[in-house]
Amino acid sequence: MQNDVRELRTAAGLSQQQLGEELDVSRQTINSIEKERYTPSLPLAIAIARFFRTTVEEIFHADR
Amino acid sequence: MPTADQPRFLRSRWAMPTFCLALGLAFLVAGLLGDDPGSGVGGLAVMSAVGIAFLALSPRSDTVAGLAGPGRDERWAAIDVHATAFTGMVLIAVILGAFFYELATGRDGEPWSQLGAVGGITYVVAVVVLRRRT
Repeated sequence: MQNDVRELRTAAGLSQQQLGEELDVSRQTINSIEKERYTPSLPLAIAIARFFRTTVEEIFHADR
Repeated sequence: MPTADQPRFLRSRWAMPTFCLALGLAFLVAGLLGDDPGSGVGGLAVMSAVGIAFLALSPRSDTVAGLAGPGRDERWAAIDVHATAFTGMVLIAVILGAFFYELATGRDGEPWSQLGAVGGITYVVAVVVLRRRT
């Protein structure tokens, strides 16, 4: 699923490893999400949105 | 909010080494019971080495960490489910193939028929249980 995780992460000055640690997932999982190879679960998507202080719909784009 | 699907122990760095050690001990017991202590000790040695390798390599490799336990998150849980299902399908194909080959060559099909029965019953039970839980 298309998403803006990479843009949000880099704007926050975080590495994939750091973001993974904040969300309790591996660096590989963050990388897979950013490359749109893996669609996160609902709890993880909500955790990502809350971490970046936005909404799931603002980050993940099912209709693109 | 926790996102990992795996129980905490399975995400510990000790999960796979513990499993390897348990397999090694099973090797040893089976070897001793079968009057082949060499195979038992050898199996224990090999599985111990595998467990140590997992411990040593987990910090250096995301893939090994995912296989061993520390790197297990929801994505690894999904990979594990799909890999297990694929493995099951391959085993079913092998069991069916071997069973039919045995029959075609005039044999009774054992133990393939028993293995196939275990697989079929396990699948039905799993579907029934999971259907009721979800």
